[in-house]
Amino acid sequence: MKIVIIGAGEVGFHIASRLARENKDVVLVDQNPEAIRRVTDSIDVQCLTGSGSSPTILEEAGIDKADILLAVTDSDEANLVACLVADILSPTTKKLARLRNAEFDRYHDTFSENAPHIDTVINPEIEVVKTIERLMSVPGAVEVGEFTDGRVKFIGVNLDRRAPLAGVLLSEIPAYIKGPRPLIAAIVRDEKVIIPRGNDRLKPDDLVYFLSEEEHLLDTLVLFGKHSRPLKRVLIIGGGRVGYRLATILEEKGIYTKIIEKDPRRCSELAEQLNKAVVLHGDGSDQGLLAEENVKDMDVVITLTNDEEINILASLLVTRMGAHKTITRISKFSYFPLMSTIGIEQVVSPRLSAINTILQHIRKGKVLSAISIKGEQAEVLEALALETSDIVGKPLRDISFPQGALIAGIIDNDKISIPTGESVIAPNNRIIIFARREAIPKVEKILTVKLEYF
Amino acid sequence: MRWNGILKIVGVLTLFFGLTMVFPLLVGWYYADNSVMPTLEAMALTFATGGLLFLFFRRTETEVITQREGMAIVAIGWTAVGFFGALPFYLSAEGFSFVDAFFESVSGFTTTGSSILTSIESVSKGLLFWRSFIQWLGGMGIIVLSVAILPFLGVGGMQLYKAEVPTPVPDKLKPRIRDTAMLLWKVYALISVAQVVMLLAGGMSLFDAANHAFTTLPTGGFSTKNASVAHYNSAYFDGVFIFFMVLAGINFSLHYQFLRGRTLAFWQDSECRFFLGITLVLIGIVSFNIYGTVYQSIGEAIRYGAFQVVSIITTTGYATADYETWPAMSQLILLLCMFIGASAGSTGGGMKCLRIMLYFKFCYKELFSLVHPRAITQIKLGGKAVPDDVMRSVLGFLGLYTGLFALSAVLLAGLGVDFTTAFAAVAASIGNIGPGFGMVGPAENYAHIPYFGKWLLIWCMLLGRLEIYTIIIFLVPEFWRK
Repeated sequence: MKIVIIGAGEVGFHIASRLARENKDVVLVDQNPEAIRRVTDSIDVQCLTGSGSSPTILEEAGIDKADILLAVTDSDEANLVACLVADILSPTTKKLARLRNAEFDRYHDTFSENAPHIDTVINPEIEVVKTIERLMSVPGAVEVGEFTDGRVKFIGVNLDRRAPLAGVLLSEIPAYIKGPRPLIAAIVRDEKVIIPRGNDRLKPDDLVYFLSEEEHLLDTLVLFGKHSRPLKRVLIIGGGRVGYRLATILEEKGIYTKIIEKDPRRCSELAEQLNKAVVLHGDGSDQGLLAEENVKDMDVVITLTNDEEINILASLLVTRMGAHKTITRISKFSYFPLMSTIGIEQVVSPRLSAINTILQHIRKGKVLSAISIKGEQAEVLEALALETSDIVGKPLRDISFPQGALIAGIIDNDKISIPTGESVIAPNNRIIIFARREAIPKVEKILTVKLEYF
Repeated sequence: MRWNGILKIVGVLTLFFGLTMVFPLLVGWYYADNSVMPTLEAMALTFATGGLLFLFFRRTETEVITQREGMAIVAIGWTAVGFFGALPFYLSAEGFSFVDAFFESVSGFTTTGSSILTSIESVSKGLLFWRSFIQWLGGMGIIVLSVAILPFLGVGGMQLYKAEVPTPVPDKLKPRIRDTAMLLWKVYALISVAQVVMLLAGGMSLFDAANHAFTTLPTGGFSTKNASVAHYNSAYFDGVFIFFMVLAGINFSLHYQFLRGRTLAFWQDSECRFFLGITLVLIGIVSFNIYGTVYQSIGEAIRYGAFQVVSIITTTGYATADYETWPAMSQLILLLCMFIGASAGSTGGGMKCLRIMLYFKFCYKELFSLVHPRAITQIKLGGKAVPDDVMRSVLGFLGLYTGLFALSAVLLAGLGVDFTTAFAAVAASIGNIGPGFGMVGPAENYAHIPYFGKWLLIWCMLLGRLEIYTIIIFLVPEFWRK
């Protein structure tokens, strides 16, 4: 599989390194020699210096043989032109582009039907707002993913010391629960991903990933010591594009929203565009202002300024002042491992959201959605079990499933079940697979192997 | 520096290298000569060492290798391979002292082709084959081969590749380093087979044809004959050798492009034009110079002149004539050729045409800016601007190369070697050529070099093969700092 990536920024770089590790052929194009050097120094991909919208460069990159073109430069225009040129040179190549300008939002379908034929338009800001919404809706969740159009949720929570399940053997869990039990897919302990077995114990401070049907979600969360509280008051720090988008959505839901923004001109713009939300002019890390606006009564404080250091500090500050929950926007990936140590649990990143969306589209076969977790050590995939694939029609224990991967759930007509060795996957069932990074290429192969004969 | 990881990979490389000893074993077994036992013993020792290293450090994570670790692995790996490659010589009953065996082995791997053997033809067939075969392995690079074949190197393979092939302007033929390495080896093997066929067609025995192809393509220069290629005294063979030496002196990615149907690939590459141009000009001058003084017919002058110029500039080191009897100008041109070397990305050594070209362009730019102090100029190569850091590394390389050459020559002379010999032996070792002038001329060998002198030259050969930086970095205190 060959992928041409235009733009060696944070998103391009990360996707390239992910795919290179999975032994895919990646060609990366960027105009900036510095960015190119960063890539050649650390990852095994082919690099070209030049404009991604130049036909010569695209031909040199082998666009005619590429399965996917990914345009993720910082400029929407450059991305559009790159897709347009690629469309002329190689119409069969699947095209994905990142467009950040909100003006394009309504035209995503137009772009896929007309000239550039962009198969998927990714707006990281839309993605990140969706992520924030999901995080707000699930109390205590560090990570929330959705499968089967939101009916099944994939949740990551930090296990509280006082939670009913803390210190319990996995095999004993059924004894604790009367109703449907959660499907524990993975545990992250000391930065390592563990695929648990019956004789593993849940320990306090573990980050536990589980699957749950939407209707049982709140009951399940109680087992992990997370109690839901109604979402009534939200404070947004930073009134940029993401802040504005989020505020509009919250307004529609009738949630009382305040936005703090530093730039007075932006404040008046916001005040003009928003109806009910309170727009405050000031610094998000100003303790006086925060106290004045009753930050301690806020259900959620979301820090969304463009300066991630300010976001981190503001989140820490409001937590100390009594806010119940914070969601922090961070762009630098190198900060992620630090976050739980300094006490910030919920983190969003437009780039990470964009990467996740892009990955879903790059995954081969009938992968419906893909979520990468914990420093990209593992991925959760939702896939359609094709009639012709090897995993259909026989008990699971007879299937040689790759090491480091696990079928976490089988969804048959909306009914989700925990697979056992005896379970049989019927054609067109959806399966949820949890796989460590190194097992992903093999999982992809299992899902598609027979498909390639067509 | 994670030494555990470094030693683990060196262990794997050693194991892999031990496997290649099967070939001389088969040859020795076929000819039923006395090289079979020493080769078997050497193989056992190599496997044991590699296996122990690997078993001991097998749990170490080596998915990611830093640039520094990559350099350490390549430098240590090459030394280890030189050591284990020496074992069949040392363990044989043919009278190799340890330093001689090590010298012969490193001279092979680095494709230098200087020998301490006084009578090549009396050595057993198995060992002769081993001698040629290690040149063939070393030519395209034992690390490149491992990267191509061993899947576990994965991402880290790239750092190793860069440490072994530190060309100023790297070009990846395929998105993945493993595929690139594989392609280069395929092209290399294909051209080698072509040469075997051509030599067979001229009536050479299969053993000699294979051995000579194995030492032409890596621009090595070991021969199975005492008199080198002069032994055959055939214009046809001279022609075949010249042709394949020139091919070996050209960037192998151009060969690949040519084979893929880009017929103009050679012409479109500015370094290749420079290399072919300078070779032709020097052939012209040398032939003119030796016509009438050494050779009486113009045909002979061109035949021997061309062979010798090509042999030295590609850093192969075959001989068809004793060029020490030639006029001083021709000798000096050949000495110059030792420094110029072949193209970047070829199997040849020396400073490399690409660097020489960039250096001239740099000099011209400096002169130009003396005339036009406010002019903004950019050094270009094939229509593209050369980044400053590439230029810096080229200048640094040339400086280090000449500096280390001078230092080693002084040291060698200090060990009691005469002026010409010391000068030429070091130039021929650091440039991976083989024969030099004086006591190490084309009709001589390196047997009489003093004990420490041999170690010095071994070091020079490794320096030259790994293009200075990968070896010299070990002497920089900063490298060892935590």
